[in-house]
Amino acid sequence: MVKISVLQHAPSTHLPARPGDPTPTSRNLDPLMHPFARARERTRALNAVKMERIFAKPFIAALEGHVDAVETMARKPGTLNVVASGSWDGGMIGKISGVCFADEDRLLTCGVDRNVKLWDTREVDENGAGPSDVRKPLNVFPGKSAFNSIDHHRTDPIFATASNIVQIWDETKSAPISNLSFPTSIETISAIKFNLSESSVLASIGSDRTFTLYDIRTGKAERRIVMQMRSNALSWSPTFPTTILLASEDHNLYTFDIRSLKTPSQIYKAHVAAVMSCDWSPTGHQFVSGGWDRTVRIWQEGRGTAPEVYHTKRMQRVTSTLFTSDAKYVLSGSDDGNIRIWKARAHEKLGILDSRERAAIEYRESLKQKWKTDAQVNKISRTRHIPKPVHKAGQLKRTMLEAQRVKEERRRKHTRAGESKPTAEKRKVVIAEQS
Amino acid sequence: MARAQKPKQSRRPQAKSLKQNNLRGFAKRQSLKSQRSSKYSESSDVYEYQPENVRRSKVKLQLEKDELDGARRDISGSEDEDDGPKRNGLRPRLVGENDDEGGLGSDEDEEIDSDEAFDESDEERFAGFNFSTKKRSLQSRTVPLIDLNEDEVELEEAPSENASASEGEDSAADDEEEGDPEDFIDVLDMIDGKGPAESADEGEHTQKEERPSASKARVEGDDVPHLEDEDEDMHDEEDEGISSDESEEDESHISPMDDAISASGDEDDDVGTSLHDLQSFITNLDAGQKRKAPDDEAAPTTETGEARRQKRRMLKERTEAGEENEFAPHRGATKLNLDDLLNPLASSSSNLLSLKKSAKILTSISAKNQTLSAPLPQRTQERLDREAAYQQTKEEVDKWSATMKKIKEAEHLSFPLQAQPAGRTSNLELAAKFKPTTELESAVDRLLKSAKMREEDIAQTESLKMNHLSVEEVSARRAELAKMRELMFRAEAKAKRVAKIKSKTYRRIKKKEKAKIAAKLGEGSDDEDMNEETRMKHEVERARERATLKHKNTGKWAKAMRARGDLDEDQRRDISEMLSRGEKLRRRIQGIGSGDESEEGEDDTEDDEEGAADRIKASAFEELAQLDKGSEGEEDSGRKGKSIFEMKFMKDAIARDQQRAKQMADDFVREMGESNHEDDEDDELTGGRIEESSGATIERVGGRVTYRPGAQQSQLRTVNSLASDTSSITLRSNDLPSDVARSVTPSATSPIPEKLGIATEAPNPWLAPRQDPAKAVPKKHEIAVSKDSASVEKSKNKLRKKAQKHEEEQSKARNDAAVDISMSNVMTLGDNSSAGPSKPKTRSQSGNQRDDGDDDSDVHSEVEEQERLLDRKGKGKANGVKAFEQRDLVARAFAGDNVVRDFAEAKRREMQEDAPKEVDTTLPGWGSWGGTGTRKAQPKPHLIKKVAGVDPTTRADYKKAHVIISEKRDKKAAKYMVKDLPYPYTSKAQFERSMDIPIGTEWNTRVGFQRGTLPKIVTKPGTVINPLEKLL
Repeated sequence: MVKISVLQHAPSTHLPARPGDPTPTSRNLDPLMHPFARARERTRALNAVKMERIFAKPFIAALEGHVDAVETMARKPGTLNVVASGSWDGGMIGKISGVCFADEDRLLTCGVDRNVKLWDTREVDENGAGPSDVRKPLNVFPGKSAFNSIDHHRTDPIFATASNIVQIWDETKSAPISNLSFPTSIETISAIKFNLSESSVLASIGSDRTFTLYDIRTGKAERRIVMQMRSNALSWSPTFPTTILLASEDHNLYTFDIRSLKTPSQIYKAHVAAVMSCDWSPTGHQFVSGGWDRTVRIWQEGRGTAPEVYHTKRMQRVTSTLFTSDAKYVLSGSDDGNIRIWKARAHEKLGILDSRERAAIEYRESLKQKWKTDAQVNKISRTRHIPKPVHKAGQLKRTMLEAQRVKEERRRKHTRAGESKPTAEKRKVVIAEQS
Repeated sequence: MARAQKPKQSRRPQAKSLKQNNLRGFAKRQSLKSQRSSKYSESSDVYEYQPENVRRSKVKLQLEKDELDGARRDISGSEDEDDGPKRNGLRPRLVGENDDEGGLGSDEDEEIDSDEAFDESDEERFAGFNFSTKKRSLQSRTVPLIDLNEDEVELEEAPSENASASEGEDSAADDEEEGDPEDFIDVLDMIDGKGPAESADEGEHTQKEERPSASKARVEGDDVPHLEDEDEDMHDEEDEGISSDESEEDESHISPMDDAISASGDEDDDVGTSLHDLQSFITNLDAGQKRKAPDDEAAPTTETGEARRQKRRMLKERTEAGEENEFAPHRGATKLNLDDLLNPLASSSSNLLSLKKSAKILTSISAKNQTLSAPLPQRTQERLDREAAYQQTKEEVDKWSATMKKIKEAEHLSFPLQAQPAGRTSNLELAAKFKPTTELESAVDRLLKSAKMREEDIAQTESLKMNHLSVEEVSARRAELAKMRELMFRAEAKAKRVAKIKSKTYRRIKKKEKAKIAAKLGEGSDDEDMNEETRMKHEVERARERATLKHKNTGKWAKAMRARGDLDEDQRRDISEMLSRGEKLRRRIQGIGSGDESEEGEDDTEDDEEGAADRIKASAFEELAQLDKGSEGEEDSGRKGKSIFEMKFMKDAIARDQQRAKQMADDFVREMGESNHEDDEDDELTGGRIEESSGATIERVGGRVTYRPGAQQSQLRTVNSLASDTSSITLRSNDLPSDVARSVTPSATSPIPEKLGIATEAPNPWLAPRQDPAKAVPKKHEIAVSKDSASVEKSKNKLRKKAQKHEEEQSKARNDAAVDISMSNVMTLGDNSSAGPSKPKTRSQSGNQRDDGDDDSDVHSEVEEQERLLDRKGKGKANGVKAFEQRDLVARAFAGDNVVRDFAEAKRREMQEDAPKEVDTTLPGWGSWGGTGTRKAQPKPHLIKKVAGVDPTTRADYKKAHVIISEKRDKKAAKYMVKDLPYPYTSKAQFERSMDIPIGTEWNTRVGFQRGTLPKIVTKPGTVINPLEKLL
């Protein structure tokens, strides 16, 4: 009796069951068998972060057309590829200061000509005017003073305008249906926005360094805070309905929880000049801001420093920024009259990814995340090349802040013990909360 | 006063009767008042006088109280002393009035007094209100509105009011006389209410001379209905009416009576007639209080025309009785309370409670300060509104907090968050929806339908079949089915199990069984004898075959080989091998039965069966032996740890258990091998061999006869196992009999190598500890045996014991020495083998050791350590010499091993290397003069290189003599270090754990990798992400 033993290879154990399936691997998962796992992963993380920097090419395109600063932009609801913009060169008289979509086809604009106009944005509008013809507005809502901002209610045919007061309009009526203003306020309202989820709540910012909260249900200006510096733009978070973002003149951005307006929930510091505009990503976990310092910055929600910085040589002061509805792209309108399209993630590969590539990308991302505490990895991922003026301004700003800090410290040192206590940075932002 | 003259004259006759009535009425009232006061607590308030009360149009009720007050006072006249000191303030004026009218008859005084007093006081208190012209203009403006109000209120009460109005004071007196006591309250109330009106009238009479024309002129514009009244009375009334609309209406109501009065006044001379008239009038009223029309008709005796009467009638209907001036919208001495309204409802208690509750609030509110507080300033109000609105918004917004929390805490988010879930359609759904469309489908459907095989049909038919079965039948059927199923299942399981058996013998047996069965079946009904015969034959054949080893050629393979004829080399070799094997076997069998070859053949058959039994027994014994071994092994391993099993009681318990087990084993062995050993022991006793004493011995011949141990050594065996039998070879070869004995005794069943080890290891100090458990066991074992064993054995045991006692003493001494040196004693705290008293010492020793470690003055060598231990142990026992011997042994073993010194030296070197130093880098011959006669220059400072190094005192291992901690920085390892604990982590361990686990595919399963690398936020390209929406 002779027994014969053969080396047998069952193809099922080492070949994919179907074409396209991953190749089955047989590995020993015992960590003791992999003494160099850590070292290998670190190297990979390092490579990943280097690759990220190599492939960080965020700029996609510039849209030309305006001859003056792009004051405002609005995305069309339900689509990804249409954006409206308003510029200083906008109307017959004066600039277009506010643009918003009433619904998918109609657009509302307001300007310093003291009119709100409703437009049809279809290829061929009701009057039969094609894309090349000069169109006429569907409706004109005359106001008493120049408008600074306009925003449409998310669901109802209501829109709000900001001039020296906040006015609520019905699309079907030519006069405002209600005026909202904080008594004793004689400021110019510079921007107004409806809350996206809690759509009866709206907020405005004014030239009096104020932020005011309204509710059209109660029909009142409900609360107002006065800050150190005036805000230039505001934006409601789409996923956290209580959160509002303010772009301030003092180079910072602030998020506030409207339930407690005493202190901001986070301060975002990186701009080296006034922040002119801001907009949340539709995910609510990122936002973009454009500043007087000619940079566009993309921030992670809750992380107050080290944003992604975009800049080009020819981009001037960024007066308006916008995230697209799929959270993949960022638009910036600047003083030079161009609208630029950027990737929201600078190193992201555009186009179709196959599963292996996606797995590799995800692996690299998680490696970077895991090893971000590593000094070398961190340094590479942190380093940005920014224009010299911005860099210098940053340095200068740092110096000034440091000097201020030192001065404050010295002052405190020379006052009687316990008499002057350092105040938290967050507490300094709001001067007064008025009800 | 001049103005008072005229009315006084006219009323004198009335006044007398009035006065009397007043008196009587007052008495009654007083008595009732007390009752009422208890009934209506609020009524007491009514009498409080508030001179500084300012009247407002809104707060009528309160004022009316006062008015009432005043009215009552007037009615009750001077007797109202009980009203308290406040009233006294008013007194003087009243007195003054009296004085004025003093000239008139004293009996009239009172009457006039009361009248006048009322006027005066009223004028005083409500000066600005009633009578001053200034106010009039103001009020005239408000007339229409108030008028309406009054109408509404008083229309309800019109009949009674009318009645009371017409009654007057006199009628009140009449009522008192006539009516039953129950009526009194009402009447009195009426009087109280009416009184002021009446007196007012009279007051007006007195006043009218003062300003007849002026008021008239004014009135005409204001009050149309009264325009027709040209009477002086009417003037008065109008006067009143203008001053307050209520009073005006009063007047209009009263007018009939007034007319009567005035008529009598006109015919001033015949007092008697007038009095009569009045009385008749009153009686008329009394007769039918509610008849208004008759009253009116009674009135026409006056000069007023028909038209006027009609007017009046109209007015009457419109408004209330005469007391309805500004003082008396309600006439009761007490205010009409909610309680009054609620009392009748008392029977329906269920509703009442709730009603009362709500009413309570009302009363409390009305009881409080009735002026509304002034509205807040607009700004404050607005601020409050805003505050409230903000709170509202906050609440509304706060409803999102749970959602937001969830999003914040989510590990992975896939946007859009509120995407419409793509619903999966189930088979059922599809089946329900399905309708045959194509030809094929419809054909299939038709077929199914005709065969009644569609889903619903199947269910139907099944139910039909089951319909005509009883419950028992169904259950029986079911049970049967279940049973069958069960049986089938078991059979299947068994078959599976059997199929798995690989044993060849089993297969053979199985085959035979099968053959047998087949044969049986073939034979079928053959006789048993025949059966027996054939079997015997078969047996014989088999035996023969086996004896001759014929079957060597009967195998399948062999047959095949034979059949093949010509064979190649391999096959031939195989065959020859087989043959040789067979030969060998035969030789062996012959060798065993050396002397009795003749018997061999006969025994063969038995050998087979008996051998099997033997084999089984042998295996059982082997098992026992192994068990023993195992237990010892356990003991050994148990010694190492410092567990609970180390404790004495546990050890005892274990020992006891083992004892019991052993006993059982011994019993078993005895039973099984009884005959054997008895034989053996017989042999021993006789000193010879009786092989053929029993058939059993012959069976066990295999290999044992030759190996049987000698007599002198087998003396010590008690309950010997087969295993120990075999071991005796080695034992015999041993030179030391005592050792042998010792080794054998501890456990009869223990395997040989163990014993051997014990026997040889005794002088080896390093193996000494292992002996301890073995030492404990034997004693007990002996006892156990002596208890249970038979008497024959007992005697043997005695013998053996004697031998052992001596043996034990020796071994004890040896063991002590061994134990003392043992390593484990140094390391572990309390060793069980050492006696109780030694324990605390060991502990203290360990404490000392720690102290030594702390001060680091020196490092103890193990030798010293052991020495100390020995000292301590040696105190109690007399084995010092042995201990020292042991020490010498150790010393010799480690001669030349200066570990400690070497270590210290190494550390010193290390420290020196790391210490800061200065290196002179001067190259000789460079930068200095050479040659003879040159002095050696000092090294130049810039050529002295300073190496920072590590100061010995700052080293991590400074003052730690037993370690060397390197101060060298490992650059490669430094890469993996972090300076501070990164943010989200709260402990070092946490961070390290997170970094420990690699995430790549090489170290994870595929799924694990996918999970580990899943990004936190996933967005699909080209998908619009809408903001969160409120889902209702």
